[in-house]
Amino acid sequence: MAESHDHVSCSEVVELVTDYVERALPPDEAALFEQHLNFCDGCAWYVDQIRTTVDTVGRIEPEEVPPDVRSQLLAAFRDWKRS
Amino acid sequence: MTEAPLKERTASAEEVELLARLRAGDERAFEALVDRHYGTMLAVARAYVSSRAVAEEVVQEAWLGVLKGLEGFEGRSSLATWIMRIVVNIAKTRGVREARSVPYASLAPEGEEAAVERDRFRGPGDAFPGHWRAYPANWNSLPEEVLHERDTLRVAMDAIAKLPPAQRTVITMRDVQGCGPDEVCAALEVSDGNQRILLHRARSRVRAALERHFDG
Amino acid sequence: MIAYKFLRPDGTSVFTRFTWPLPDDGPGPWVDAGVDPCRSGIHACRRADLPLWLGRSLYEIELEGEVREEATKVVAPRGRLLRRIDAWDEATRDEYTRMCADRAHELARAADLAGWDAVVEPSVPEGPALLGFVAARIAEKISGADAYHAERRHQADWLADRLGL
Repeated sequence: MAESHDHVSCSEVVELVTDYVERALPPDEAALFEQHLNFCDGCAWYVDQIRTTVDTVGRIEPEEVPPDVRSQLLAAFRDWKRS
Repeated sequence: MTEAPLKERTASAEEVELLARLRAGDERAFEALVDRHYGTMLAVARAYVSSRAVAEEVVQEAWLGVLKGLEGFEGRSSLATWIMRIVVNIAKTRGVREARSVPYASLAPEGEEAAVERDRFRGPGDAFPGHWRAYPANWNSLPEEVLHERDTLRVAMDAIAKLPPAQRTVITMRDVQGCGPDEVCAALEVSDGNQRILLHRARSRVRAALERHFDG
Repeated sequence: MIAYKFLRPDGTSVFTRFTWPLPDDGPGPWVDAGVDPCRSGIHACRRADLPLWLGRSLYEIELEGEVREEATKVVAPRGRLLRRIDAWDEATRDEYTRMCADRAHELARAADLAGWDAVVEPSVPEGPALLGFVAARIAEKISGADAYHAERRHQADWLADRLGL
């Protein structure tokens, strides 16, 4: 007795979420994913959690160039310029 | 889902102008270039070598390589892509030399990894298999201050620090440095599908760390 | 083409959060898909798709241009909201939810399926979209994929009849 492939479960949603937010799901799969979010608050909140995670990581300051490295690199650039 | 290599961009108009200033010896232009790419270079190097200290050496060596090649760079790829290729070549050599050789294949995702512990879903014998036993929390109802406090950021940073190297590099490039997927594919020599799997695993692990933090 | 579109109570679309210009005395203004941040166009339901996308408010939408028919929705480059379907109100939503819950109990009991009664009633407060899925899922559990679709059709017919579509 075949089960329908026309719905996804919560345990599948948590594995498809990145493909969904990266817009890499084929249209029919994206539609099934969104249908699930439409009836399942738990998964809608899960997707929001992933978006919050991306926002939070996005607030981490990118690595800055340490001052000693900066001066060494500038010295190298001046040498290069002279040569 | 496409596995085809992404089309490579050539140097942009902005990069062509920057290049001219560099060749003319403009120090401000060089500093701007260093500031723009340093964090990404470090993240890329760390996928190939064992420690932060070695990665920093790789990046410095890569800048010397950039200077050496600057005159000959023809702009057939973007400047960023060219710089990352130099980092990758040096990092790979170093990785082999420090006997922690990272063969090409090992940057691709390995094995299975569940985004969420499987016992949080109902089992196959249940009436509603695969459905949450208990819903995850609605973070939209958390006070804005909680999301923005330094502790939260610290939890995310610690979680990233503990990721396997390839995952750590991908999430740093994509979500901290703001690189596109094509830059990750080029730097790690992985397919678009694999960069997405690595990103997925990384974001899932950081989410789990934040969940432990918020739920106490 | 005339189709249907569910929106949030504030008039934004469920997934893209696009703010739709609502119909007033007459139809709302035309919206081009380029304006909607959703990548592929304006998404809407046919009658048969209604149970899959249930939301808080329902509008009739006119679609123009090349309308792409997908498995569970239609996608168009241009559309405008014609009118709000006022019959889709809280009372009707509750009635539909109850209908699906009763159907779910009926199916589960007829098939002597254990465990589902414990799923159905706690789901009722979550609303019509979940209960419609639960009822169809039980039908599928008993008789396979065709029964899932038959249950969805039954739900679509109920909605079309009750909302006068």
